[in-house]
Amino acid sequence: GTVTEAATGMPVPGANVIVKGTSNGTITDFDGLYTIENLVVGDTIAYSFLGFATKEIPFTGQETINVQLEEDQATLDEVVVVGYGTIRKKDATGAVNQISTEDFNQGQVNTAGQLITGKIAGVTVTSDGGAPGEGQNINIRGIGSISLNSSPLYVVDGIPLDNSIVGGSRNPLDFINPNDIESMTVLKDASSTAIYGSRAANGVILITTKKGKGQEFKFNYSGNTTVSRPTKYVDVMNADQFRTLVNEVGNDAAIARLGNANTNWQKEIYSEAIGFDHNLSTTGNIGGFMPTRASIGYTDQDGILSGDNFSRTTGSINLRPSFMDGHLKVELNARGMYTENTFANRDAIGTSVGYDPTQAIYDANSPFGNYNSWLVYSEEADRYVLNNLAPVNPIALINEKDDSAEVRRFIGNAKVDYKLHFFPDITATVNIGLDKTNSNGRTFVSKDMPSAQLDWNGSYNSYSNISTNKLFDAYLTYDKDFGDHSLTAVVGYSYQSFERNKDSYNSLRVQDGVNPVVIDNEKSVLLSYFGRANYNYADRFLITATLRADASSKLNPNDRWGYFPSTAVAWNIHNEEFFKSNTIDQLKLRVGYGEIANVNGLKDYLYLTRYNASQQNAYYQFGPSYYQTYRPEAINKDLRWEVGKTFNAGIDYSFFDSRISGSVNAYLKKTEDLISYVTVDPFTNFSNKIDKNIGDMENKGIEFEVNVVPVRTDDFKWSIGYNIAYNDNEITNLPDQVEVGGINGGTGNNIQLHKEGYSPFSYWVYKQVYDEAGRPIEGAYVDRNGDNQINDDDKYLYKDPFADITMGLNTNLSFKNWDLAIVSRASLGNYAYNNMASAKSYEIRATENSILTNLHRDYYNTGFQSLTETNLQSDYYIQDASFFKLDNITLGYTFDQIFKESTLRLYGTAQNVLIVTDYDGLDPEINGGIDNNFYPRPRMYTIGVNLNF
Amino acid sequence: CHDDLDQDPKIDPDSFTENDVFANADEARGALAKLYASLALTGQEGPAGQPDISGIDEGTSQYSRMLFSLNELTTDNAVVGWGDPGLPNLHAMNWGASNDFTTAMYYRLAQEVSFCNSFIANASSLDDPAIESFIAEARFLRAFAYYNLIDLYGNVPLVTLISTELPSQNSREEIFSFIESELTEIQNSLMESGANDYGRVDRVAAWALLSKLYLNAEVWIGQDRYTEAITYAKQVINSSYTINTTDANGNGSAYDELFLADNNSNGAQNEFIFALNFDGNQSRTYGGTTFLVHAAIGGDMDAANFGVNGGWSGLRTTKALVNKFDYAVTASNEDGDPTEWADQRAMFFTEGQNLEINTIANTFTDGYAVTKFKNIDSEGNAGSDAGGDFVDTDLPLIRMAEIYLTYAEAVTRGGSGGNIQEAVGYINELRERAFGNADGNISSSDLTTDFVLDERARELYWEGQRRTDLIRYNDFTTGSYLWPFKGGSKSGTSVSDYRTLFPLPSNIILINPNLTQNTGY
Repeated sequence: GTVTEAATGMPVPGANVIVKGTSNGTITDFDGLYTIENLVVGDTIAYSFLGFATKEIPFTGQETINVQLEEDQATLDEVVVVGYGTIRKKDATGAVNQISTEDFNQGQVNTAGQLITGKIAGVTVTSDGGAPGEGQNINIRGIGSISLNSSPLYVVDGIPLDNSIVGGSRNPLDFINPNDIESMTVLKDASSTAIYGSRAANGVILITTKKGKGQEFKFNYSGNTTVSRPTKYVDVMNADQFRTLVNEVGNDAAIARLGNANTNWQKEIYSEAIGFDHNLSTTGNIGGFMPTRASIGYTDQDGILSGDNFSRTTGSINLRPSFMDGHLKVELNARGMYTENTFANRDAIGTSVGYDPTQAIYDANSPFGNYNSWLVYSEEADRYVLNNLAPVNPIALINEKDDSAEVRRFIGNAKVDYKLHFFPDITATVNIGLDKTNSNGRTFVSKDMPSAQLDWNGSYNSYSNISTNKLFDAYLTYDKDFGDHSLTAVVGYSYQSFERNKDSYNSLRVQDGVNPVVIDNEKSVLLSYFGRANYNYADRFLITATLRADASSKLNPNDRWGYFPSTAVAWNIHNEEFFKSNTIDQLKLRVGYGEIANVNGLKDYLYLTRYNASQQNAYYQFGPSYYQTYRPEAINKDLRWEVGKTFNAGIDYSFFDSRISGSVNAYLKKTEDLISYVTVDPFTNFSNKIDKNIGDMENKGIEFEVNVVPVRTDDFKWSIGYNIAYNDNEITNLPDQVEVGGINGGTGNNIQLHKEGYSPFSYWVYKQVYDEAGRPIEGAYVDRNGDNQINDDDKYLYKDPFADITMGLNTNLSFKNWDLAIVSRASLGNYAYNNMASAKSYEIRATENSILTNLHRDYYNTGFQSLTETNLQSDYYIQDASFFKLDNITLGYTFDQIFKESTLRLYGTAQNVLIVTDYDGLDPEINGGIDNNFYPRPRMYTIGVNLNF
Repeated sequence: CHDDLDQDPKIDPDSFTENDVFANADEARGALAKLYASLALTGQEGPAGQPDISGIDEGTSQYSRMLFSLNELTTDNAVVGWGDPGLPNLHAMNWGASNDFTTAMYYRLAQEVSFCNSFIANASSLDDPAIESFIAEARFLRAFAYYNLIDLYGNVPLVTLISTELPSQNSREEIFSFIESELTEIQNSLMESGANDYGRVDRVAAWALLSKLYLNAEVWIGQDRYTEAITYAKQVINSSYTINTTDANGNGSAYDELFLADNNSNGAQNEFIFALNFDGNQSRTYGGTTFLVHAAIGGDMDAANFGVNGGWSGLRTTKALVNKFDYAVTASNEDGDPTEWADQRAMFFTEGQNLEINTIANTFTDGYAVTKFKNIDSEGNAGSDAGGDFVDTDLPLIRMAEIYLTYAEAVTRGGSGGNIQEAVGYINELRERAFGNADGNISSSDLTTDFVLDERARELYWEGQRRTDLIRYNDFTTGSYLWPFKGGSKSGTSVSDYRTLFPLPSNIILINPNLTQNTGY
């Protein structure tokens, strides 16, 4: 027979022709011709080709079978997951992005956020640093709240997670093995997130795990090994430069303290690190009615900071039996994780920067494990102790502190869908979930750790945390077509509780023998009713309306119920007769509005009168006895929901058989009753700050996404994805000024301010005065209010840590069996405060406190003498941290049919390949914008295999 | 499941309700302890954690540490070399309305008023004879907070009930009358002289505070009330409290015992009318005497001599204070700067220190160091925190010696009911204690109003009084008295007169339209 393209009649060369369920097959030749033998009546022949829908023809004894393949509309027919259901992407009325397995980032990926970095306009994923398994901060469309949590809501297989982190974990999402994730769907605008109500104010990320499918059991093994290398160090003086400086500025005593060594302390604490990752999964069907998937995974990754290790074992099982002719569908997910974290001592990051490079690591005379230390003799204790203002030897910090934890987490759900026998348009669903985490951790500091404590003999602390979240959802779905009209409606109820128990056993000093227990318990409950209707008229007009009612135990009974509506309409212009065109596959206009509230991250019980009893070291003496004190706690009886009102307008487009597709969105989000931790008159309350609904803020932006497929042939496919987003955050109403952003240097200095009319977290600084040569003049600042004195009143707001523009550019190429993927990102207009330079580059630092301390080389630029409040808060240190990063390059080769149907893919990945920036610090990508003791992100090289059999 | 929305905070074992805390007088003692503790400590976890005040470093927010910053660092008594926010502005006398120290002190005192108001309201419903004294103590502490507020900020809201209504501003006269009437009313509800637990106040404290209030009446409300100052000072002097004359460590003077780790038992306690209690293990803070001991150590000083594990290289003094002791110099160094004094209140560390200050920031060795506060007891042993971090030494806020000086000043300023001979007797008691003999005694012709100011500097330096004293003598802002780096100029310069009051916090002005900022800010 011949295989041709349905639309054009042109032959399709290279199409697969295979007898289903066998390995009997062939491919078409240049003219689309094929021959296949050994057929028996009853066989099914499957015809497939990339970019076309697979077609199946039953064999009834025909001599010739000519087949016309239709263009695959997969990108438009794609089903996307939305809250409490799914929807065809072409029916979506909101701003929704779904990224699936084939588009995920590869390489050393320990946590879900890394899978989608750079892929979606307006979604920024920033790690806290370079430690393995480190937390990822995901922000959707900027920062939506200033005191509450700005993270999106994560929903895993229908279970909304709690974003808080359990002690001993590195990351709230680290429990899920990225290899088990099928897709991640990002809901960006209010009309799509509103169904999740109060917790969705900052967007929603729906994580769908891989499910059982197919008939025969198939297996997949994937494994890789990664080498991580430090790439850059904080710019400090080397031993010779430091010697020169001390000889110039030090007195005789200081000069006498110089050592003879040349130690690069940063190089001593970082090293190359190795990691492994193994995953085995199987998917198939048990008994013909129960699709099943099971997986186990093991990750063992060292960090470049010596002693850092993340080791995780995961197991998951997914069962999807169906009964009663498909009327009753059950889905069971169980996922277990066991993590062992060994936390390297991050104090070494800071002290390695400042430790005198002329000192050797070890000193035979040191009583502290022979670690070179700045000692003083204490007559009282009759021993040498550490000078209490001296840094601790970085190698001692690394070697003499053990900080480890084990975290066990189970997350499982049972979901039952019952399509009513007597009314099959209605499906009843119940979903019950449990998310339980149990962690145990401890820190042990040996007596060899240099200490200023007169009675130092080591220390031991331990803690255990239990977190239990429960979910019960029940909802009805009505789905009906009436000719040109179709309607899908959902109504439901949801209950979720979050309970946390934290015990810590503090023993500040082992020899005290005291082991007081501090217990912290809290519980909150969220109750909701929700409804949604999707109406579709002839695939031309789409309307979605949702309403959610939420009640939180965090709010007072009068204000705890909030009602949050949303609506969106979409117009599929391409389906209009007057617009039919061969070049335009899709052109959809969308407009939506929604209201969503937020109390995520708000503490519990704030509306209640409470007294807090003091801990044992904060008792007060009356006569001979010490009494525990009771403090009335700050209270706000009027706390209510922070409400975000979002308007979104967008266009989805697809041209030239999906060769060019994408979307454009514009949004405006106004958050009212913004909850902020602000000043309260302490004459009227029991503190000077409370969480209060006091402000308003605004986020606005434009996003543009385009995917281009320049080449799409059988052997060669090339696609390019590009996204760009502009976002602006502004506090539009805030009576108070809230100082935030604590920095190193002095005690209690802040560098950022929330102020009306500015971006949250704007830098609040003095305006530096420079000399003719462009050098900053120490202590000279612009007297902005002209009162001839420099104080707080002369500070101004200058820049903020958030990017104005973020971009992602990625490309995938496949040629025959080769594949290549490149991911890059850019961020423009984000500024960082270089705290490493500001707090560590003043001349007196070199010799003060009867010790020697190394300087940041920015000293050569400033020549600053002293550490003062004003020097620290100079706008000189607010630096443009715009960057371009080449994040990931992956090259792979796939061996087909190494035996039978097995395939083997080998690949290599390089991550964190290149950074282009003007920023002087270690890394321009600093979450929060304060560059201080940052754990450097390593460059990583991975080689891996992926075997299907 | 709707009932589940009412969650009970008592699932946390440290969380209590009003019914628990005010179940009876015995339980209420824990709430009363908080009223004292909020002046001594900084939160519910020692030394830091669960702070009372937010937005400022927790140790910095401790009451007596801030009192030191506002009343000593702004004067000739002290300078500090740290780059903490707002700190260098204090000695330079150019603080603004959002200065961290002026702001946090206002918060601390207003919060103390709220704690007291809540306690008074709740305790009043208890039917227990012991509760009367508790309530009177709470009222004393509230009056004490207002005493500080009227001194530091002038016109502040007068609030006696817990309410979320934004308060309106009251005049200094109204605050003055409130303190006066409260202290007068409670004097008989407080326990008799010496009858209360150590660390808690009795009626002598009310009299002492009244005498301090009246001494400042002329500045604060423009009325001469020296006669009342004398009346109440005499009541205090005649009470069971006495100045300490026990030289427990045998070094020749009974003065230094007042500032040692065992000052709650070495005899000094008899002089303490109102003191903050600290303990190296059970009452830990980075403020209080822990601050006064550590922050004053640096340079060549040996921390072991002070019973702690190291210094913070911060506080020193100016030569203006050192020169107050010129009359008693017994030894000098090669530069002619004094190194030893017969008056043992001159507790300076001079080795490696320059009397003259050239640089304040990060330069501990400019300015003499002060060795007044120590964490060693009369036997020479270090305090109870074996690690050497936290200090046991209690800190007197009002002690008998101050009342002696109040008496003397009120007499020289023309108050009636006292006499100059008696005043000279009191001064000489202090001087005999300081010298260990009668060498430093004065005669009645020496006793002038100005003499008392200098004597107060010698006796009470670093105890949180200096700014108030200089204002009473019109020396704080004016050019009549200059000290190194006054007004930010090395040789000292006058500053605007409005700086005799600190600004109300700018954030409070922003949120409460009822308030008017103090003039000049």
